[in-house]
Amino acid sequence: MAVRKSHGHVVIIGGGGTGAAILHDLLLRGFTATLVERGELTSGTTGRHHGQLHSGARYAVGDREIARECMDEVRILQRIAPEAIEMNWGLFVALNEEDNAFAPEFIAACQESGIPATEVPVAQALQMEPQLNPAILRAVKVPDGTIDAWRLPLHFFATARANGGMIKTFTEVVGVIRTAGRVTGVRVLDHAAQNEYDIAADLVVSATGAWAGQIAALAGIALPVTPAPGTMVAVKKRLNNMVISQLHPAGDGDIVVPQRGLSIIGSTQWQTDDPDTVEVPAEDITYLTARAAQLIPAFASTPFHAAWTACRPLAGSSGSVEDGRKLSRDFLAIDHGTTDNTPGLISIIGGKATVLRAMGEQTVDMICHLFGISEGCVTATTPLMSHRGYYNPALAGERAPTGGAL
Amino acid sequence: MKTVRFRIARPQRAEQWQEFDVPVQDHTTVVDSLEWIRAHLDRTLMYRHSCHHGSCGTCGMVINGTSALACTTRVVDLDLETDQVVTVTPLPTMSHIGDLAVDPTPLFRHFPAAAGYLRPSEANRGSTPPEEVPQYKRFENCIECGLCVSVCPVINLREFMGPAALAAYNRELEKNPGRSDELLPQVEGAEGAAGCDRHLACSAACPTGVYPAKQIVQLRKKIEGWQKNRESGTTGSAGDGSPVVPL
Ligand SMILES: Cc1cc2nc3c(=O)[nH]c(=O)nc-3n(C[C@H](O)[C@H](O)[C@H](O)COP(=O)(O)OP(=O)(O)OC[C@H]3O[C@@H](n4cnc5c(N)ncnc54)[C@H](O)[C@@H]3O)c2cc1C
Ligand code: SF4
Ligand code: FES
Repeated sequence: MAVRKSHGHVVIIGGGGTGAAILHDLLLRGFTATLVERGELTSGTTGRHHGQLHSGARYAVGDREIARECMDEVRILQRIAPEAIEMNWGLFVALNEEDNAFAPEFIAACQESGIPATEVPVAQALQMEPQLNPAILRAVKVPDGTIDAWRLPLHFFATARANGGMIKTFTEVVGVIRTAGRVTGVRVLDHAAQNEYDIAADLVVSATGAWAGQIAALAGIALPVTPAPGTMVAVKKRLNNMVISQLHPAGDGDIVVPQRGLSIIGSTQWQTDDPDTVEVPAEDITYLTARAAQLIPAFASTPFHAAWTACRPLAGSSGSVEDGRKLSRDFLAIDHGTTDNTPGLISIIGGKATVLRAMGEQTVDMICHLFGISEGCVTATTPLMSHRGYYNPALAGERAPTGGAL
Repeated sequence: MKTVRFRIARPQRAEQWQEFDVPVQDHTTVVDSLEWIRAHLDRTLMYRHSCHHGSCGTCGMVINGTSALACTTRVVDLDLETDQVVTVTPLPTMSHIGDLAVDPTPLFRHFPAAAGYLRPSEANRGSTPPEEVPQYKRFENCIECGLCVSVCPVINLREFMGPAALAAYNRELEKNPGRSDELLPQVEGAEGAAGCDRHLACSAACPTGVYPAKQIVQLRKKIEGWQKNRESGTTGSAGDGSPVVPL
């Protein structure tokens, strides 16, 4: 890349998948950028999510556009970060007559969203996944997969760092600096050096997910974000290779995602005030294990491995959990110059790990618009460095296996 | 619910050590406890964590003298009768950042270049993948946590590539045998596979069943076969000669 003048310096708060993708995109479009994260990278929601690469099938009945975006991103991520994905597809299975009756609507919605969902005979589904509940009434095959929740974002961080991006971990934003009404930087606490300092910025992007309300408050802005945690439970054996979901409108505990030597059931959802004080409710472990066993009976007799929670940010102060689920799973990009008379700060909330790149693209489109520049996005066609490249640039490349050894 | 005392190393601070009382349930892990301390008692506490289920490899630390993943170590499973408190210190052989947080850069110094991270899946052998999937795949077992390196007695004695990197070489050669001529010269020396004294501490510490010591034995066999071929003048690689798929 030829050396050229920077369009400006952007500070990103939050080292989750969203921050990673925004940082990567900004650098490719000629900005200088610094990302600050209060802990280790992906120590918020991103590292702890369920790990499903969403084909979009789960969302198609409710929202074709979100489903289509997922499918587009599945194709793109397979090209730019293939080694961060177990691409083994998924099965939606009907457990009862109600699920069975839902199938035609589900398949039609997927196909309208560009998702190649096809019914497979139950006997064939059992050959694909021998540990499936043999009593299932129907099975639909979709291009779901498994993401490495830490290593996919690390592909973006590695590439961004190689392109000159500054990444500061254990660096917590403790203040938002305003000059004549405009946000002009952040004050950070460097936990390792135990000191505070200021970082000047032409624009500050808060990609802090469930913590976005806290950052907005530092700038004197009221941003109603409700943290909505969910629990996941893993057992010590890989029982399935495909992602197994219940064929019904989204509910609790209806997806078993395989990953490495584990199978993971998720999730539940409730609401809370503080994303930092969430603990695993003991009853969730019992509930989720029983739900998983409806899809894969052996789940219940497989030794427990871990239970943990992750926090979704629900935008708007929703009244009930029911409303919460129905809130768009899409993400919000808020320019506080327009909404709160505070130019220089934008907040990005929501989305999914699957669509991190698209969130980066749309956020940087918005930033380019604010800066009055036209610079196209190239992240969909730019292969990413290996996650190991983050720690050792000599390990930037990855190659697919040619042998078949386990 | 009971209360357990944590004694945490904070080497970069004047106090060096700090104690915290934490309420724990049966399923509370050491990472859960550190999160509780940070949320309720001291928001400056530094530690690495991400997945909370033993997949990312960031949370390795020394817990009551044993190198372990903090996220899969349940507090109730620790021997609190003998130890009274849970003492936690940062993982050695990495660069120290602060408190329990380390920088794993040293771990990746000797990994093989251009190595992939996927392998064929062993689950449900004999099952038939959908037509779109040539073969079920999954991520490698190694989560690059560095626990094996932290307990390796050789690392502190002399230059040694270490169990994690050597295991990664063996795994890469299992998957891409055509790379023998390129990769085996990088591990045949005294700092490579020959440096292993077979203490087996690495295999005992590994949380995901990589068995690095076994991988090193397999790597030595590959080196021996390849060296024999070299001496007998057999040209080409000891691998199957299958083409390597470029990035
Ligand atoms: C239970 C659950 C399961 C999910 N499963 C899936 C799935 O299977 N597939 C999928 O695609 N998506 C899934 N998601 C959604 C996905 O996890 C999120 O959309 C995504 O991780 C959000 O990333 P983010 O970067 O926006 O937020 P985060 O990852 O939360 O990043 C925000 C970061 O900001 C940091 N931060 C906070 N305050 C400060 C401060 N003051 N200074 C500096 N840094 C700060 C935090 O430490 C954090 O790292 C799931 C979500 C939940 C809750
Ligand atoms: S071989 Fe095992 S102990 Fe060593 S880095 Fe890999 S997962 Fe960790
Ligand atoms: S937090 Fe990922 S391995 Fe412990």
